[in-house]
Amino acid sequence: MSNFTTLDWLWAGAFLFLMLGGAFFFYRLARRSESDFFLAGRGLPWWLPASSVFSTHTATDTPMWMTGVIYAHGLRGLWYTFFAAWTAIASFVSARIFRRSLAYTQAEWQVIRFDGLGSELLRGWIAGWQVFMNMFILGWVGMAMGKVGNLAFDWPLWVGLVVPTVLTAIYTMAAGYWGVVMGDFLQGIVAIFAIVLVSLVGVYAVGPHGAVAERLIDMGEQWRLDPFAFTGWFTGDFPVAWWLTMLVIAVVGGFGMGTSIDWYVEAQRIQSAKSVRDASYGLWAGGAITLVRNGFWAAGILAFFVLLPGISSAAEYELGWFRLGFGLLPAGLVGVFFGAILAIHLSTISSHLNLGALYVTRDLFQRYLKPDADERTLVWVGRAATLVLLIGSFFYGLMMEEITQWLIFALWLMMAGIWLPNILQVVWWRFNAWGYLSAWMANLGVAWLVVWVLPAFGVIPPLPDYVQFWVLMGLGALVFVPATLLTPAERMDHLVRYYVMTRPLGWWGPVHREAVRRGVISERRTAANNGRRPIIQRRWTAEAAEEWTREDWIAIVLSPVVFALFMIGVTKLILGQPAGLMLTLLGIALAVLIYWIIDPKLRAVSHEYEAKQAGYLDELEQKLKWEATPGGGGV
Amino acid sequence: MEKGLVTLIGMSIAYLASLLGMGFAYWAWRRRRKHDGEGEGTS
Repeated sequence: MSNFTTLDWLWAGAFLFLMLGGAFFFYRLARRSESDFFLAGRGLPWWLPASSVFSTHTATDTPMWMTGVIYAHGLRGLWYTFFAAWTAIASFVSARIFRRSLAYTQAEWQVIRFDGLGSELLRGWIAGWQVFMNMFILGWVGMAMGKVGNLAFDWPLWVGLVVPTVLTAIYTMAAGYWGVVMGDFLQGIVAIFAIVLVSLVGVYAVGPHGAVAERLIDMGEQWRLDPFAFTGWFTGDFPVAWWLTMLVIAVVGGFGMGTSIDWYVEAQRIQSAKSVRDASYGLWAGGAITLVRNGFWAAGILAFFVLLPGISSAAEYELGWFRLGFGLLPAGLVGVFFGAILAIHLSTISSHLNLGALYVTRDLFQRYLKPDADERTLVWVGRAATLVLLIGSFFYGLMMEEITQWLIFALWLMMAGIWLPNILQVVWWRFNAWGYLSAWMANLGVAWLVVWVLPAFGVIPPLPDYVQFWVLMGLGALVFVPATLLTPAERMDHLVRYYVMTRPLGWWGPVHREAVRRGVISERRTAANNGRRPIIQRRWTAEAAEEWTREDWIAIVLSPVVFALFMIGVTKLILGQPAGLMLTLLGIALAVLIYWIIDPKLRAVSHEYEAKQAGYLDELEQKLKWEATPGGGGV
Repeated sequence: MEKGLVTLIGMSIAYLASLLGMGFAYWAWRRRRKHDGEGEGTS
């Protein structure tokens, strides 16, 4: 890059040294145990998982994808990025349930939620899938860095793909999740600074406050300022039906586990938090910052559109945000910008290296090969698995020529056919391992048929994306509903143990009644049954806080609204539109209200649960090592 | 590379990785059943 000076190289080098050095600092903590290497000892305050959620969500390919949808669709493209809002409801539902299960991974959770051979097959299936998926994500993120290196320095693509990833792998192997999460904290600060800076510089390059909006109106492109610029109910490239489908996928998906590809990464952050409350706030804050970030990006990308309208090649305009940074920042600050790009890249790479290694170590090696492996061996297996993932990711990276194409491939595969089963496994006691496994197996084949094979041979016309989603969901249901109902429910002993440990939301009546009959929990006697109950209850006993009440539902309903207000409000605020400030302030007020309502309850739940956690962990370790767990009524 | 072919390759690898994981789980489950003797273990 022509304007990259010695000072810029010094800045970039300093950032790299800080980020790598900071992560190495935790080497001694990581080597203590498997729990330290993969979960930082389950002792993190909420703001560390929160910064890690944000940093991991922010990869080198993210600004490319953001630029792609905003450049093509204007502010209505923000809704494509709203899938991160799954964290809004998940923070108060599935995160709470998953944290209480104490499972290291989503695969491990299968043998806690389900029982018998079916649960084992599911664990192996998901572990295999996740090893693939983490390599795949590493490949596409690495290739995005290759493109940036090519744009900025004319490096061959393989240099950006290989060199930063290898540097990241070194500290990830040494310091494990401790290095990942502490690195994410530092990298998150650098990244958010650069995102805000470049977006503001881009917006003010167009003109003084409000100039982007004025120029768009002059260009006859004012529809780009409207997040609700629909093209009809079912017609055009942004119909209402597509918007509603995206909202359902993102928001309602928060009730389930695995409804987004990010779920698997955040599961590790949820489990590394020191309490249920910290897990909830960590996920919520991480999701909220991510959507605020989208607001800054969207404003900057609209400015890029005003500066350079009419680019028709997606491969060209998806580099728009990087072109803003490298093109507009003065010498000295370009180095800071490049340091931030490295930060964005390192945080995502380190997370996926460690997560993929976790599935190999915990779900394949320890569970199936060597259940009695000592902690030292497990840490070394984790390091070796990190290396294997690193090499595998290079293979995938070199296969990928078009970032967006692969991203869509991954998202559709993950979401369409198993979206509903991911929710059912959380909320419906009767849903069993065979139903869930059949949904997974059918999903891959059905997605391939409906999306590519049948249209290619003219059997069906190419379907709009939102129609594909509902068709795939319906076809999947034709498989998993009979598979569930034609096979037995999980053993009641197993379900009662799971129910008492996690207290899930939804249709768990028969299991609840059995748990009451066995005397392991008491009958519901809170909430609506108590005539003297205040509208918002703020004093909770641990037992009463276990129930799902109207306080939870208020948080569940308001939380996605807050996320949408943040995302749109910040965008309009940066663009100088009057509604921006009002929407942002309304979002802040509602966020404070949610905290006021839910915090006393989360404190009560956390306090009680953390007291029991040590006992539950012992039981879980026994289960992990294939020892018989106690049958009968006890938990 | 053509989109359909890329997708086919990606899908095949995804299938293979998941099936390998599941096969591995089944092998370990069978081994454990043999080790524990008939009638014991996870249902």
